[in-house]
Amino acid sequence: MMSDGLTVGRPDGRKGRVLVAMSGGVDSSVAAALLVEQGYDVIGATMKLFCYGDSVPDRPCCSLDSITDAKLVAHKLGIPHYVLHLEDRFGHDVIDNFVAEYARGRTPIPCVRCNSFTKFRDFLYHADALECDAIATGHYAIARDGALYRGRDRQKDQSYFLWGIDQAVVRRMLTPVGELTKAETRAAARQLGLVTAEKAESVEICFVPNDDYVSVLEQHLPPDAPALTPGPLVTTTGEVIGEHEGFARYTIGQRRRLPGGFGEPLYVVAIRPERCEVVVGRGSELFGHDVSLEEVNWLVEPLAPGDIVWVQCRYRARAVPGTIAAQAGDRVALRLAEPVRAIAPGQSGVLYDASDRLLGGGVIT
Amino acid sequence: MKRATYLDNAATTPVRPEVLEAMLPYLGKEAFGNPSSAHRFGRAARAGVEEAKRAVAEAVGAEPNQVVFTSGGTEADNLAIIGAALAARDRGGPFRVVVSATEHKAGLAAAHAVKHLGGEEVILPVTASGRVDSAAFEHALAGGVAVASVMWVNNEVGTIQPVRELADRCSAAGVLFHSDAVQAFGKVPVSLRDVTCALLSISGHKIGAPKGIGALIVRDRKAVEAIIHGGGQQFGIRPGTENVPGIVALGIAARLAAAEQAELAARLRELRNELERRLLAIVPDAVINGWQEARAPHITNVSIPGTDSEALLMHLDLAGVACSSGSACSTGTVEPSHVLTAMGVPRELGVAALRFSFGKDSTLEDVETVTAVLPKVVEKVRSLSAVLHR
Repeated sequence: MMSDGLTVGRPDGRKGRVLVAMSGGVDSSVAAALLVEQGYDVIGATMKLFCYGDSVPDRPCCSLDSITDAKLVAHKLGIPHYVLHLEDRFGHDVIDNFVAEYARGRTPIPCVRCNSFTKFRDFLYHADALECDAIATGHYAIARDGALYRGRDRQKDQSYFLWGIDQAVVRRMLTPVGELTKAETRAAARQLGLVTAEKAESVEICFVPNDDYVSVLEQHLPPDAPALTPGPLVTTTGEVIGEHEGFARYTIGQRRRLPGGFGEPLYVVAIRPERCEVVVGRGSELFGHDVSLEEVNWLVEPLAPGDIVWVQCRYRARAVPGTIAAQAGDRVALRLAEPVRAIAPGQSGVLYDASDRLLGGGVIT
Repeated sequence: MKRATYLDNAATTPVRPEVLEAMLPYLGKEAFGNPSSAHRFGRAARAGVEEAKRAVAEAVGAEPNQVVFTSGGTEADNLAIIGAALAARDRGGPFRVVVSATEHKAGLAAAHAVKHLGGEEVILPVTASGRVDSAAFEHALAGGVAVASVMWVNNEVGTIQPVRELADRCSAAGVLFHSDAVQAFGKVPVSLRDVTCALLSISGHKIGAPKGIGALIVRDRKAVEAIIHGGGQQFGIRPGTENVPGIVALGIAARLAAAEQAELAARLRELRNELERRLLAIVPDAVINGWQEARAPHITNVSIPGTDSEALLMHLDLAGVACSSGSACSTGTVEPSHVLTAMGVPRELGVAALRFSFGKDSTLEDVETVTAVLPKVVEKVRSLSAVLHR
C-alpha cells in the first residue's frame, strides 16, 4: 500500500531518522506506528502550542490528556517522546494573526498558518537539531517525490491547508496515513492496540475552546474594538436595514444572525471593516468568477498568466477550473470558469493540477 | 544499547535490593496482616512497623514514638505545616506560617492552604545562593508564628540552609521549626540531636525505598493536628491502616542511608565536583547556580547560556543521559523554576538550567558519558535556540 515515495533513506541505504508530530490523536498515532513498522528510527514529539490556562482551571496544561495519549502510544511503540514548547511562537505566528485577520474583517484559517509556520517550519528546526532526515505528520495528504497530493480519502483530504509550506520541506515530509482512508487508519490503530484508536475526531480550531472564536477575539482585542462593536447592516444597494453585532461575528455566505422578512433569505455578501459595515444580499449575489490571492506560495515552478489550474476556495468545497489572469510578486488573480459561492477574504485559494497535485495557494483578498 | 546514565537521583531512586528483600515478607502470606489486628498476622505486621519506627528514629536521632509514617514527603510537609497551624489556631495561638521562597512546592502549597483556611502565610526571600534571608526570618518570627518551615537541603540547587541556627532562633521565639529533609537525609548529617527541629520530613524513594512512603518526625504530638481523619492509627495524627511493606522498606533504607551517609557524601561530592570541573571546561560560560554557599554533595544545577532546558533534556535523553531541568511549564510558557527565580537568577539563565543529581549507583563513567555527549548537545541546542528565539 505504501508507495516508494515514502522512503527517506540515508546515503548508506538505511532508513532515516524521523521526527513525528504526535498530537495524541488517532491519525498521528498511526503515522508513528507505520513508520516504526517500516523500519525508520522514529522520535515522537507533541507540540504544545497554547495553554487554555484559566479557562480550564482544573486541568494543568502540562498533563493534558492529548499529551498523555501521545506518550502512551510512543511508549507502546517503543520510541522516545518529547513535548516541544512552541507556545510563544505559535501565539505570535498563528493566534495573533487569527485575531488581526478577524479585526480587519476577514475569515482566517489558522490551520494554514500553523502548517506554514509551526508544523513545517519550527518543528523542522527541532528535527534538524535532532539530526532527523524527515518529519512526519498524520495529515491526510500525500507527499511523494517532492510533490504534495490530495489524500486518498477525499472526505478527509487536508491538502487544502498545506499550500503555504516551503517547497524544500516537501522532500523531507512523510505522510504515512495520506494513502489510507480514515476507516483504515482506525482499523490500523485498533489492530495495533493504540489507546487513541477510538478517539473522537477533532474538528474545532485547537486553541478555540467550545468552538467559540469570538471569545478568543474578546480576550485579545480591546472591548471597544470596531470588529466587536455593533454597526450598520446594509444591503448591496446601500440601504441600512438594521444593526449587526460586530463584524467579526460574520463570515461571507453566513445566514445566521441576519433579520428575516425580506421576501427571500439574506446572506452576508461582504464585510467593510473601514466603515464597520456588514453587507447583505440575496443568495445569487454570493457567486463570483474572480479570486484574488496574496501571500502566494508555490510548491512548483511559479505558474504564469494563461495557465490553467483547479481552484479550491474553501475547505471541503469542490475545486473548479480557472485561469491565472495576472501575477505580480506574491499576488495572483484568477478567473474561474464557473461561478463559486461565498469567496471569503482570509480563506485560502488553493491551486491543484488535474492529477490532484498541490501547486500552491494564497490568501483570498 | 549502552548503559543509560541516570543522573536524576534527586527525582527518585531505584529500590535497593536489600530493601526489596526486607519488604517482600510483608506483601506475602508471611506477614501481610493489619498491624492493628490482635491475632498472629497482626502481630507479625506490627513487629515490622515497630522495628522500622526504631530504625527511622535512630537514623535521624529521634525517639521511636516521634515517628509518624506518611505517604511521602509531600504529605509530611502538609501535615507539619497545616497540622501545626491548625493546632496553634485551636489553642488560640497564631494562625500564621512562615516558609522560605525556595521550599519544595509541597511546603509552599501547604502554606498557601493555611491562607485559604483563613490563616496567614509569610514567604521569606532568599539570597543569591538560596539561603534564607536572616533578617527577614527574624522579623517574621517576631510577628507571632505557629510554624516556620525551611528545607534542610534545596532539591533543585542543593543549597544547605543554616537549619541549626534557624531552629535555635525558633526555639528562642517559641515557634515550631519544621525542616523538609527529603534531599538532605542520607547526603548530609541529619540528626535531631544536633538540630532542635520540632518537625522533620523525610521520604523513602530518594534513598532506595519505594515511592509512597515517608515520615514526619514529630517531637511533641500536641503540636500537630491531624489533617486527614480516620481511625486511631499513629496516635490519630495520621490515621489509616499502615503501609506496612513501605514502612519496613523505609526502616531499612533509613538505617542504610544513615550508616552510609559520610562515605557516600564524600564519593558523590567527588563525582559532582568532577562533573562541574569538566562541564565548565566544555562550556566556559556555564553558571553553577548556588555555588556561593555550602551545597549538598549530590546536586549540581547549571545554566548553559543560549540554550533552553527542555531542548537540552530531550537531546541528552536521546544521547542516553537522564537528568532534569530547572524550569517549569506555567500557563503556557516555559519559565524558570520558582527556586531559581527567588535566587534572582536571570530569566535567560533560569530557562537554560539543568540539574544533575547523583546517587549511590553513580560512577565516574556517568560523568564521562555526560562530558562526552555534552559538547555536541550544547552546540545543537544553541543553534536551535538561536533560530527559535531570535
